Amino acid sequence: MSDILRVRALSAGYQPDMSILKGVDLKVDAGEFVVLLGPNGAGKSTLVKTIAGLVPIHGGSVKLRGEEISDLPAHLRLRHGLAFVPQTENIFAQMTIRENLQLAAQILPKATRAGRIAAMMDTFPDLASRPGTRAGALSGGQRQMLAVARALIVEPEVLILDEPSAGLSPLMVADVFARLKAINASGITVLLVEQNVRAGLSIASRGVILVEGRVAHDAPSADLADDPVVAQLYLGGRAQEGAQ
Amino acid sequence: MMLQPIMDGLVNGAIIGLGAIGVTLTYAILRFANFAHGEMLSWGAYIALTLSGLLGALLPALATPIGPFSFGWSVPIALVGSVVLTSVLALAVDWLLFGRLRASGAVTIILVMASFGAALALRNLLEFIYTSSPAYFTNALQISKQILPGLRATPDQLLVLGLGAVLVVLVHLLLTRSASGRSMRAVSEDPQLAALVGIDTRAVIRMVWILGAALAAVGGIMSGVIVQIRPTMGLDLLLPLFAAAILGGIGSVPGAMLAGLFVGLAEAFTVQFIGAEWRAAVSFVILVAVLLLRPQGIFGKAMA
Amino acid sequence: MIEILSYGAFFLTMALTYAVIALGLNLQWGQTGLFNVGIAGFVAVGAYVSAILTTPFSDGRLGGFDLPIVVGWIGGGLGAGFLCLLLGALTLRLRSDYLAIATFGAAVVIQLALLNLEALTGGPFGISFIPRPFADLSDRANLFAFANLAVMVVLVLACYAALQHLVRSPWGRVLRALREDETAARALGKNPVSYRLQAFAIGGCVMGLGGAAQGHFIGFIAPENYLPTLTFQVWAMLIIGGSGNMRGAVLGAVLVWAIWALSGSVVSSVFPADQQARAASLQIVLIGVSLCAVLLLRPRGILGEAGTLRRQPKATSTPSEGQNTHD
Repeated sequence: MSDILRVRALSAGYQPDMSILKGVDLKVDAGEFVVLLGPNGAGKSTLVKTIAGLVPIHGGSVKLRGEEISDLPAHLRLRHGLAFVPQTENIFAQMTIRENLQLAAQILPKATRAGRIAAMMDTFPDLASRPGTRAGALSGGQRQMLAVARALIVEPEVLILDEPSAGLSPLMVADVFARLKAINASGITVLLVEQNVRAGLSIASRGVILVEGRVAHDAPSADLADDPVVAQLYLGGRAQEGAQ
Repeated sequence: MMLQPIMDGLVNGAIIGLGAIGVTLTYAILRFANFAHGEMLSWGAYIALTLSGLLGALLPALATPIGPFSFGWSVPIALVGSVVLTSVLALAVDWLLFGRLRASGAVTIILVMASFGAALALRNLLEFIYTSSPAYFTNALQISKQILPGLRATPDQLLVLGLGAVLVVLVHLLLTRSASGRSMRAVSEDPQLAALVGIDTRAVIRMVWILGAALAAVGGIMSGVIVQIRPTMGLDLLLPLFAAAILGGIGSVPGAMLAGLFVGLAEAFTVQFIGAEWRAAVSFVILVAVLLLRPQGIFGKAMA
Repeated sequence: MIEILSYGAFFLTMALTYAVIALGLNLQWGQTGLFNVGIAGFVAVGAYVSAILTTPFSDGRLGGFDLPIVVGWIGGGLGAGFLCLLLGALTLRLRSDYLAIATFGAAVVIQLALLNLEALTGGPFGISFIPRPFADLSDRANLFAFANLAVMVVLVLACYAALQHLVRSPWGRVLRALREDETAARALGKNPVSYRLQAFAIGGCVMGLGGAAQGHFIGFIAPENYLPTLTFQVWAMLIIGGSGNMRGAVLGAVLVWAIWALSGSVVSSVFPADQQARAASLQIVLIGVSLCAVLLLRPRGILGEAGTLRRQPKATSTPSEGQNTHD
């Protein structure tokens, strides 16, 4: 019973009269690596954005370490240990790499900022080699690395990522996934939205499949991968995923 | 013949530039053209006028001119007070009006419209309190001194230029080197992502109002020292402020200042060569030219 | 009794000239969501063009073509419409508030031109002896007043009908579609900029027409009639009546004009002469505050459907031309 993130009967949407999430229940244990799967339009992005505080909640609750956070503005959720990396526009393109990291480190105590920035530069040597480059000039993969570094700099307990693999080459995807695996191994709980079911199940310990704003399946990755129904519905390829 | 309009233009341009910095920051961070910003210059000037009048009445020594300048210590002291009170005024207007509209999800143009209504109310309130007749910080006349052959300036004018330059450098450093400046740039680039990296957007918005109002107050006081104080001074400056903010590129502080100087110079040369009655048209011509040729302004990143 | 009647007719005639202007603004704002801060300028252009076309020749002033009043009105409308077309073409492809800034600037420059192009506009003294409709009836005050009122009623009805027709036509449906869901309308191949430009120019035409008519009823015009306060009055009329609603625009015009005239006469009877200017500024403060209050408390106006004022869903609040990429 060491759940770190608990979502109960969550409904949410951009407009007051239109819920995209229709009562989602989700539990993530400390140290777990959970992948969130489902067809386009199922509400995967909306769910993680709602957890991060970007989408108005219509009902239900979001608890972090047992503490209700659904009424906190987004900037305070980060201070409670929940970091979110959006799918696009996840770095400040007009600013340099260093400025992006400095900005993220601002919520840390003054004394630790420089150390954390240096630690991120060590972890991501690609970024360290040219800290003065404008982030907008980086390649897709490097942008994702910067976005992840930006989120990790504050040492969050839970890291949520919305499809970091989108638009990356297979090689880059493998690199990003390896990073996420390592981040999870270091003790950080990871919740990942992924379009590619096979790839997602291959790195996560548990998979949650969202369909039409509700959780349709929730099981260990291995079970899901072997489940014939899931295999037929979701592993058939992208054509069916876009059916919504 | 050529030097004098340059001097006059730079002095006036420094005032426009200080106002335009406020316009460009509100535009970049709150994302609307604030038609009430001109009134911050007027209010800044009138608040300072009232404070310095009070100080002068209480302690007549403060009213004796400092060195070569036309005003006594009561004016710089009043300036500090006015900067504080004008910022409070801007925060109050935001709390009463713009903040509520933002919270209700109003579209940009509603904010523009509200700023237009607020401008009218603020301006006419000044006219109600102080009447429409012009007021002055001091009755002392200043003799302009020869600086170069063909170039004369009063010590007040030189002070305005110097103070303008210092303030621009300070604001530029604040934005590029400090944590609060980084936060402001972050919110200007992407408010949602800024919240995700832990920045409190509301705090940044407060900072923008304070900074904009403070610079406006200084600009208004400068204009009052150099020219005069009238309830419509902000309205008359509004078009030059917008022209400078757009010419400089929305969000760019050095751009706003340089463009402000440019607008000031263009006005001075128009007065010199075409006629003072067409001065107010200069900003419109500049505005049209920028929108036609380079809508993102000189230092603008294509539509931030 | 007779006097009251003819005053009433005069009052209504004036109010209806404002109704025409408000109808023009309603097309720009209520139907299309374009914020015009230069109404006073466009109204002035309409009035001056018409005055120059219709006044008799006079020494020391260009113009004075002595043309029929109808020609003057059409000219006034076209002049203002053309100006709107130019400003719209300059700004409509840019951010939504650039139009506001440009129209504000245009009004400033028009005011300057009225003051300084003395040979054309008469400078600060303006133009007088503008022919009034039914001038040959002017010795019979009542009949004259009612004939004028009748002209204005016909003009308002004509504008109303024409605008109603436009709004309900396929063209109007596209405008509405653009307002409701720009992305979808674009997907149907509708170019938002060109539709908005047309609406802005037609609205400007109607405003110019209203300005022209107003000039002819008063009989003389001067730059001081076209200060930013006028812009603000017209806005108050539309917002209070309920934008997007043509009946609201007409009702708002009559209502706000009545409040204005009434509070003006209260001011002049209650305050001593030397304080009247101050009291008048308080009048404007109150209107400014009430405009803000309406925006805050009752964004749909008193009567009103207001598509432009409603909270917009995500898809449409990301403004068109990718101006604000993030929101």
